[in-house]
Amino acid sequence: MSANADDLGFSIDMTVRNEWRNVDLLRTSVQNCFTAVFADVDGCHAIAMVTGELLENALKYGDWVSGDRAMFRLRVHRSSSSIVEVSVQNPLKESDVNAMNLLKAIEEISSYPKPEQAYRARMLQIAQSEEDTSPSRLGLVRIAFEGNCRIAAKIENGTVTVTAALDLT
Amino acid sequence: MDNLHSGDLTIEVAEGPDAVFRCTWKGKSNERNPPEILKPWFEKLLAAAGAKLGSIEMHFDKIEHFNSSTITALIRLIQNCRKTNIKLVMVYDQTLKWQRLSFDALRVFEKNDDLFHLRFA
Repeated sequence: MSANADDLGFSIDMTVRNEWRNVDLLRTSVQNCFTAVFADVDGCHAIAMVTGELLENALKYGDWVSGDRAMFRLRVHRSSSSIVEVSVQNPLKESDVNAMNLLKAIEEISSYPKPEQAYRARMLQIAQSEEDTSPSRLGLVRIAFEGNCRIAAKIENGTVTVTAALDLT
Repeated sequence: MDNLHSGDLTIEVAEGPDAVFRCTWKGKSNERNPPEILKPWFEKLLAAAGAKLGSIEMHFDKIEHFNSSTITALIRLIQNCRKTNIKLVMVYDQTLKWQRLSFDALRVFEKNDDLFHLRFA
């Protein structure tokens, strides 16, 4: 981890065991680190929320069966600009249904003029669907809406990297 | 009606005048599958409120964090309260941006039937 208060840069890059309790440990660590460096409490909470949702998705939908490493990689980076990038990398094959669902969900979010509309539409879909029939996938659209993020995913060589870019302006 | 304690989350319930079941959320709702824990507790709460022709108030202003799976459980609760004609009010801290964003979005479920409302703390 490194931080430079002069240019408000910040970087975290770590490989972590795929244990559920690590989600909250990392989420709160990211929140505390950013709060220590920056004065924007709302922005720090948004970065932490985005981190938590991405980590939860990695643990829920990653391929933790066929891979030989039960680890994921978290990167949080802010350069001198107002954009913070949070990315999580975990095992996932291109042919996996979760990979296709992920790309489809990102495409759907992008199809709305505003993330808020995508979020409300997803909530209404959840309300109208049968209980517990499929994953809610609310996390990604929450990231887009509450985190004011652009989301992208890259799947190659048996891993997926999901990146959320927060605009803190 | 007993309080809910699960992991980092506590929901304290107190029955007030007019059978208003006031539920105060504290800590963090960060379980892998919150509906698994919340759904049975909500069912008991709805049964208790329904038996007394009462209503439910959910107070979130003291909660530190909840994940998106918790929001899914709350959407189900709104639907179930409406189906059973039990009034539900959600109270949040509008001075916190994350709570304002999360709960204002739930206004999409407000209708003219007086069964679901959002209120500032």
